[in-house]
Amino acid sequence: MNGYGDRLLRVDLSIGKISKETISDSMKSDFLGGRGFAVKILWDEVKNVDPLSDKNKLIFAVGPLSGQLLPSAGKMVVASKSPLTGGYGDGNIGTMASVHLKKAGYDAVVLEGKSPKPCYVLIEDENIQILDASDLWGKNSFEAQDLLEKKHGKNSGVLLIGPGGENLIRFATVMSQKGRAGGRPGMGAVMGSKNVKALVIKGTGNVSNFDDARLRDLGKKGYDEIKGKENYEFWMKQGTMQAFEWSNENGCLPTYNFREGVFEFSKEMDGYVVEKLHAGRKGCPMCNMQCGHIIKDASDQQAELDYENIGMLGPNIGIRSLPQAGTLNRLADEWGLDTISLGSSIGFLMEASEKGLIPEKVPWGDFEWAQKLIVEIGKGEGLGKLVSQGVKAAAEKIGKGSEKWAMHVKGLEASAYNCHACPGMALAFGTCSIGAHHKDAWIIAWEIATDRFSYDKRKVEKLIEFQRVRGGFFESATVCRLPWVEVSFGLHWYPVYLEAITGEKRSWEDLYQMGDRVLNLIRAYWKREVPSFGRKWDYPPDRWFEEPQSEGKVKGMKVDREKYEQMLSWYYELRGWDQNGIPTRETLENLGLKEVAREIG
Amino acid sequence: MAEIRFFGYLSELVGTRIKELRLEKPVTLRELVPPTFPETNIIILINQKVGDLDSEITDRDSVVLMPVLSGG
Repeated sequence: MNGYGDRLLRVDLSIGKISKETISDSMKSDFLGGRGFAVKILWDEVKNVDPLSDKNKLIFAVGPLSGQLLPSAGKMVVASKSPLTGGYGDGNIGTMASVHLKKAGYDAVVLEGKSPKPCYVLIEDENIQILDASDLWGKNSFEAQDLLEKKHGKNSGVLLIGPGGENLIRFATVMSQKGRAGGRPGMGAVMGSKNVKALVIKGTGNVSNFDDARLRDLGKKGYDEIKGKENYEFWMKQGTMQAFEWSNENGCLPTYNFREGVFEFSKEMDGYVVEKLHAGRKGCPMCNMQCGHIIKDASDQQAELDYENIGMLGPNIGIRSLPQAGTLNRLADEWGLDTISLGSSIGFLMEASEKGLIPEKVPWGDFEWAQKLIVEIGKGEGLGKLVSQGVKAAAEKIGKGSEKWAMHVKGLEASAYNCHACPGMALAFGTCSIGAHHKDAWIIAWEIATDRFSYDKRKVEKLIEFQRVRGGFFESATVCRLPWVEVSFGLHWYPVYLEAITGEKRSWEDLYQMGDRVLNLIRAYWKREVPSFGRKWDYPPDRWFEEPQSEGKVKGMKVDREKYEQMLSWYYELRGWDQNGIPTRETLENLGLKEVAREIG
Repeated sequence: MAEIRFFGYLSELVGTRIKELRLEKPVTLRELVPPTFPETNIIILINQKVGDLDSEITDRDSVVLMPVLSGG
């Protein structure tokens, strides 16, 4: 099929064996690419294994749109069985590796086994080598990126881990280009468990698109449309950081470990402060609406900001200075730790300290402590050891009610939206396919624009629609969703792009079904891998049900548990799942997943 | 005094982040924003309740106009 490299590259690190396999046409049409490929490979090949053992596999996958000269298309998915949650884990990352992998003629790379010593994998078109990484091991992700670029040239795509991944910290991510990160549920730890420091990819070929000239023309029109959007200029000034003021106004800003939704110092670190401190911009390849805003941080170094990391490493831990939050974010990137889980972990420790559940005094907003904790978490030492497997595991260790304010779903820490007064977003976190992440369905703005306090079925239907487009299509295509969600770039472009790439017409209905297939297979994967998996895994933290917000315009609000139950039941019904949240045989068979239905019973 | 607050790019569209107006009689919100003001992809909250551009605003109302964002 046009637009694909048609090949999967498999690297067995234990024995140094390299193989190249053909990707079938049915795989491409049924699962599209990226996340779709990843879950299909995991389902077929990674069954009931310890995520940090050599039996797990780490998958890097692109889709037909990835790496093409199209709006914000420089993306790739990294996926594995998650050491943080025990279920399906993935993330998308913006990286030149996406462009180079396509040019090298591969749609996916599967790393399996375990290298006997630290190594990195070099992919230069047909030439694949496993090389010694002893000089890179222990280096932070910025230093290692520089060393690899020095060795292999800047015209290469580098995916790598920091010391956090080497030390098997369960929320270590895969990094690229000094600040791009992907794979929140511990994909960096899986890479570290295989003794792989990096992948360096250099592709020189061309992608065989169905109609290259048309694609170029359509791509240019897409870029032009984005630049012409009425909110484009403002987006370029503040990027996702405009959400800071927005979330605070709506009582959704994560504050003091999600206890509150408004921060008294929000004006000291919102998007307007970013504008004042602006020192540059960073983004992914092929993007003309770069989301990373650079400022000089509190250590006088460059730090890249976006809403999620500043929300979680700012108000969520009581930090009230943007440069300080910038420093924490840079440290997280250097160590290769997920900023969202990190902010949640530090917030958890600060609250545990406040409540006297740990002996250390770790005050809210203490910048020195926060820096120290990042290093300790990255090493898995000292107080950092307690949260180095995530807040769920930490709460299980210290008990005493802390599980109620360990802010996670399925073991993955919640991203930066306080949901006391947003039941739809709480359900989005509850049902997201990797745990409490916002990427599958960001329904919060829609529900505030309609009726944030309602628990009606329309909200559940809308949630599923978002999941199909975001978690299904964008993650599998694999391109960035931000042009659509941030500047209203038209969804109608994507089937047109697909047709110019593959030569095949696909309607949104058809793509929805593909998305459903992917999301149902992920659900089945959870069921197969986690013996206790079921309805009880789909709830947001107790804090949002039991402790009303005490400040702001939604003061006194909390999620109504009974009504949440009703929404969850509707969700299952609309998804074609039983009331324990397991896809029915009929649903799986209708999606062409007959074998899967047989396996999960 | 009615208060209208504009968020994100909407503030640049109207040239201010906050408008305070003395209204002798109720007027529609549409009359208080430029004719080019977007009709879709915006959130309108009048005293924290969802409204639209044709909602009537009185002298005592607090209005918030925001874009629909994603946050990342």
